[in-house]
Amino acid sequence: MQKTWRSSVLLAYSLAVLAFLYLPLIILALYSFNDSRINAVWSGFTFKWYQALFQNTRVLEALTNTLIIGFFSTIISTALGTTAAIALHRYHYKFKTVINGLVYLPILIPEIVMGLSLLVLFSQAHLPLGKPTLILAHITFCVSFVVITVGARMEGMRNDLEQAASDLYATPWQTFRYITLPLIMPGIIAGALIAFTLSIDDFVISFFVAGPNSTTLPLYIYAMVKRGISPEINALSTLMMCATVSMVVLAEILQPRHHHRSQEE
Amino acid sequence: MKKKRGLLLAAIITGSILLLSGCGGGDKKGGASGDKKVLNIYSWADYYAPEVIADFEKKYNCKVTYDVYSNNEELLAKMQAGGAQFDIIQPSDYMVTTMIKLDMLEKLDKSKLPNAANITKDLQHPAYDPNEDYSLAYVWGITGIVYNQKFVKEAPTSWADLWKPEYKGHVILLNDCREAFSFALKKNGWSNNSTDPAQVGKAFQDLKALNSNVLAYDTENIKQKFIAEEAWIGQMWSGDAAYCYTDNKNINFVVPKEGSLIWADNMAIPKGCKNKDLALAFINYMYDPDVSAKNFNYIRVPNPNEKAWPKMNAATLNNPMLKVGNASIKKGEWLHDIGNAISMYDKYWTELKTGK
Repeated sequence: MQKTWRSSVLLAYSLAVLAFLYLPLIILALYSFNDSRINAVWSGFTFKWYQALFQNTRVLEALTNTLIIGFFSTIISTALGTTAAIALHRYHYKFKTVINGLVYLPILIPEIVMGLSLLVLFSQAHLPLGKPTLILAHITFCVSFVVITVGARMEGMRNDLEQAASDLYATPWQTFRYITLPLIMPGIIAGALIAFTLSIDDFVISFFVAGPNSTTLPLYIYAMVKRGISPEINALSTLMMCATVSMVVLAEILQPRHHHRSQEE
Repeated sequence: MKKKRGLLLAAIITGSILLLSGCGGGDKKGGASGDKKVLNIYSWADYYAPEVIADFEKKYNCKVTYDVYSNNEELLAKMQAGGAQFDIIQPSDYMVTTMIKLDMLEKLDKSKLPNAANITKDLQHPAYDPNEDYSLAYVWGITGIVYNQKFVKEAPTSWADLWKPEYKGHVILLNDCREAFSFALKKNGWSNNSTDPAQVGKAFQDLKALNSNVLAYDTENIKQKFIAEEAWIGQMWSGDAAYCYTDNKNINFVVPKEGSLIWADNMAIPKGCKNKDLALAFINYMYDPDVSAKNFNYIRVPNPNEKAWPKMNAATLNNPMLKVGNASIKKGEWLHDIGNAISMYDKYWTELKTGK
């Protein structure tokens, strides 16, 4: 008896927390299908805001910028992050813990501080602000997340396979290429997906380092809200939300539950 | 299986390298061989009709980029940090003054701007840049009282009308410190740039008394609340009132007799601009009556270009809210930087919004 009472309280509490987290997002998405320009009144179902969105050259430009920046920062940060993760997990050298800490630091530093310091750096170095500075900035914070994701994969992996390869006269490159890389591939792809998600969602850091011809979607949404919230903004936010959620889900699927896997392998 | 994966990986890597180099190369080629100049605009969101920009690109064989900011302080910070190579910026009135003081704006060569004469006389000598040496008004607005005739039977004439007890719970004010104090000061017959502690203190007491009538301090959703008739009376910019009117014909707008706050976002060229001629050509182009009419039919905010008015479409032209705005320019007082006195405003503002 007491058990059911307890579990129903727990259930209600959990539902309340979930509602608190997701209700605003659901309402935002719902109103993107509202026929009226006014958020407060529901007057019918429509796709017209989505249509308007895809005819809006400004939105499409911002989308292109976002995708270009996301693509390059993902490729570069994934390459850098993967090699860093391997170095951190497979080798032993001086100051390893310090370097390890430095890799994680960008995650802990307040975004606003990072944005500001990058802006100062770029202007001191006389780098003109624009897409290249945005890509550099995005790589800076994406690398840490790739290191963590790939690192998690490596942590759950014993190195007996690699040792076996070496025993069978594989060169270090062959070992890396045919053993290590395929084993950590799910981690790398998950890391890349997270990097891409972070890049397309970033507002604060982009805000500081954007220049001509580099307005991204989050920056554009922010500037649009100044003129009042329209259903077009709801539609755009809903699409961004869907893109983010699907990528995070994909990354989560690819991310190994390493306790099971390491035993299987 | 393994081989396939390797091939895939190699393909991804070569593909991305090709893309990387391809993009970089493409940019360089565009700069060198095409000789296409690029004009970089840094402005507010939705301030240009895409068609108007496309026409300019064709006419001058150039490319226009358009990036956006959401407040003047953001613009100032970006320009001060350096590195952002913009050719056209659009500071508001008080920010023009600040930027002139900081020597951040190029003097405009009027001989290349014959269309500047199309700006309505009342906006040709704004207090923040009296001879239009550095800036031209591009979009403007005046704050007034917006009301719904269904609920507000007697047309308001004074800011004091907002305090009428029958509007309890239906008044909306702009969520902006200077805007709020502006009308409270005006109501008492003072300047909205007052730095006199007694005057600002009285304005604060009045606003505090008004709090019981206030439904919300809201800038983002104010239009929706008036269209949906949740709000009956409140403070609004002329352009927004025109927007509301197109959706709800019960909406009316008046600029109170005591006067009000007027603002303008301007065309300006930042110091050190590399494409000055193209920038001037762009500014002149935007004040061409036909171009301007096309542009403002799209962006639907008050247009300072008098010569363009007759060319605008009927819906915009006959919007009574815009007419009220145009007829009230002289009642407006520009805000200016009030220096340290702003901390006094800020203190009261915080108290006002938290003391509720």
